[in-house]
Amino acid sequence: MEQHNRFWRIAFLILPLAVFGLFVVWPLFSSFYYSFTNWNGFDPDYRFVGFDNFAKIATDRLFLQAAINTTIWMAAAIVLPTALGLMLALLLDSRVAGARVFKSIFYLPICLSAVIVGQIWTWIYQPDWGLLNTVIAQVTGDKFNYPWLAKPDSALWSVIVAWSWQQTGLSMVIYLAGLTAIPGDLLEVCEIEGASPWQRFRRVVLPLLAPSTVVVVALSVINSLKGFDILYIMTGGGPFNSSDTLAMHMYNESFKKYLMGYGSAISVVLFLIALAIIGLYFRQLRKVDRIYG
Amino acid sequence: MTRISRRGVLLGSLAVPMLGMVRLAWAQSGEVTISHYFTGELGLKAFNEQVAKFTEATGVAMKDSPVGHEDFKTDILVRAAGNSLPDVFSYWAGARVQFIVDSSALHPIDEMWAANGLDAVIAKPVADSATLYNGKRYLVPFNYHYAGMFYNVKVLADAGMTAPPATWDEFLALCETLKGKGVAPIALGSKNRWPAQFWFDYLLLRTAGPDYRAKLMAGEAKYSDPEVGAALAMWKDLFDKGYFVENANADDWTDASDKVARGEAAMTLMGTWITGYWNGNGLVPGQDYDFFEFPRVADGVPNAAVGPVDGLVIAANAANVAGAEQFLSFMVSDAGVQAAWANAQGALSANVNVDPTIYNVVMQKAAATVAAADAFAFNYDLSTPPPVAEVGLSMFTRFIDDPSQAEAILAQVATDAEAAFKE
Repeated sequence: MEQHNRFWRIAFLILPLAVFGLFVVWPLFSSFYYSFTNWNGFDPDYRFVGFDNFAKIATDRLFLQAAINTTIWMAAAIVLPTALGLMLALLLDSRVAGARVFKSIFYLPICLSAVIVGQIWTWIYQPDWGLLNTVIAQVTGDKFNYPWLAKPDSALWSVIVAWSWQQTGLSMVIYLAGLTAIPGDLLEVCEIEGASPWQRFRRVVLPLLAPSTVVVVALSVINSLKGFDILYIMTGGGPFNSSDTLAMHMYNESFKKYLMGYGSAISVVLFLIALAIIGLYFRQLRKVDRIYG
Repeated sequence: MTRISRRGVLLGSLAVPMLGMVRLAWAQSGEVTISHYFTGELGLKAFNEQVAKFTEATGVAMKDSPVGHEDFKTDILVRAAGNSLPDVFSYWAGARVQFIVDSSALHPIDEMWAANGLDAVIAKPVADSATLYNGKRYLVPFNYHYAGMFYNVKVLADAGMTAPPATWDEFLALCETLKGKGVAPIALGSKNRWPAQFWFDYLLLRTAGPDYRAKLMAGEAKYSDPEVGAALAMWKDLFDKGYFVENANADDWTDASDKVARGEAAMTLMGTWITGYWNGNGLVPGQDYDFFEFPRVADGVPNAAVGPVDGLVIAANAANVAGAEQFLSFMVSDAGVQAAWANAQGALSANVNVDPTIYNVVMQKAAATVAAADAFAFNYDLSTPPPVAEVGLSMFTRFIDDPSQAEAILAQVATDAEAAFKE
């Protein structure tokens, strides 16, 4: 019987493993391989250049800019949806009128693809007739046509706002689930003991939401690492590379400058960064499991 | 109850991908695969009609995969990297074709060219500049475009223009008049960067001349040269005088074209594909819009026309070379196909057998302008190698964002371009 089960396990794993190997493992190792070459994507006669591509990274001005932007992007992508999601969850958990409708409305953006969200926000930011500038002009009474996505100072932050708008619903739902798991009598005890709402939140609710926070933060990190499409749609890394992230920089070097070898080296660095972050996440997850599991 | 056997499951799991491969192999037999960027406003429907004519005439089926113009630049590289280029693909003549010829990724077509007598079909200036790479022919020109100053007829008539400005001073005077009337003289939509390049191209060509520009594009001259500085200074002067629309970097070329069509701006420096776009929006050539040549700036400088040539090329490892060559020959030789395609796309045909009277009045003028020019130059991103073009295109948008930084931008570009030429 055991042998019979083993056979079926292997049989059902063949196809997914083949797909995973073909589309994940093989390209990964290919990137490692090409990062040591000067391949341009077309030419079969490329040569090995050792660590030249990695040495170039150290002196690449645009890589540095992209690394700074990636740090800002990730920090904001973790903090904003997490904080906003928690706030919304607390508000909607306190039995406000129409909470179910609001929950659906706030969750809706996560159902949209990043491309659609990017397009919606591109229209909102449109300088001449976009919603944002129209509202500002109505409020101030002056003509206002600031090009949010075309200025280096505001392009990245404008995309971060759009990203947070989409991701907040997900954090909210996870926190709402976490809140229902908090025993009602515990909160009652707090009230009887005379704890203020802030003390109740800070000392009881927030610590008990720790497992939810780990999930929310982990999802935010993973999603932000994948956050290429919305940037591509809204700014394409522009204007003049000012909103480039490492993923965007890798794309530009590989596909616009035809420097596949160098682009692969950037992807290797990006992979190592992602690996370190995911390693930290798993360590944290184990810690939470030990405490609550 | 039907029992699923182990062997059945294993065979099934192998059979599904096998079926896919068999289907792929079957699909490849006899037909020619093609990928191109003639989508949306660039004429997908008209392209498919021309392809249908080829299939009807030869019986050879085409399997196409159109990709949006901007995405095509990436898509074709992804396919090359994956060793899965289609048999035929559209590509821009000039430095980009040179790049893939140098990478041994294209199939030479000299024999097909000679066998079909294409020397007698394709206008010599276009054939010489667009089809020859490293001494061999690799591309047939499917159509070509010319970049000129396209304008709203009514707006310029209201501003009192009776004849197009022939000199730089006349052009500046026209801009000043328009500005005085509350119309933005020049629309520009440089969100995707490339629409800005025509300004740099023409200002450099009109001041330093085609020979110097060719040197700069090939890396034999530097961006720190006074010639480049002078061209950028003239461009800056136009910004300083407030002749360009606000927020050019926030708009696409179609947004800029719409501003001209609506009369919010007077003119835009753009390729003849704008005529296809405007005609599609119901504007009447010659009546609603027209164009004039970029004004002469310095005496004694040869008069150059700028534009891209859209070509068709065959991949070096094409599965169906014979069918691909047949397709290229038919698409460029058949005067009916060329005429219909040129008209639908708002382009010019390089086929000498195409009767010029098939063009609308504006395109007839464009054809005559190119014919009368001393030189035909590919636009910036098709004249210089792709890694350098990236540096330059970003330079243009950075300059447009803050023209006061022109000198600092040029200093940075000089360093970056030098490094990019070494890639």
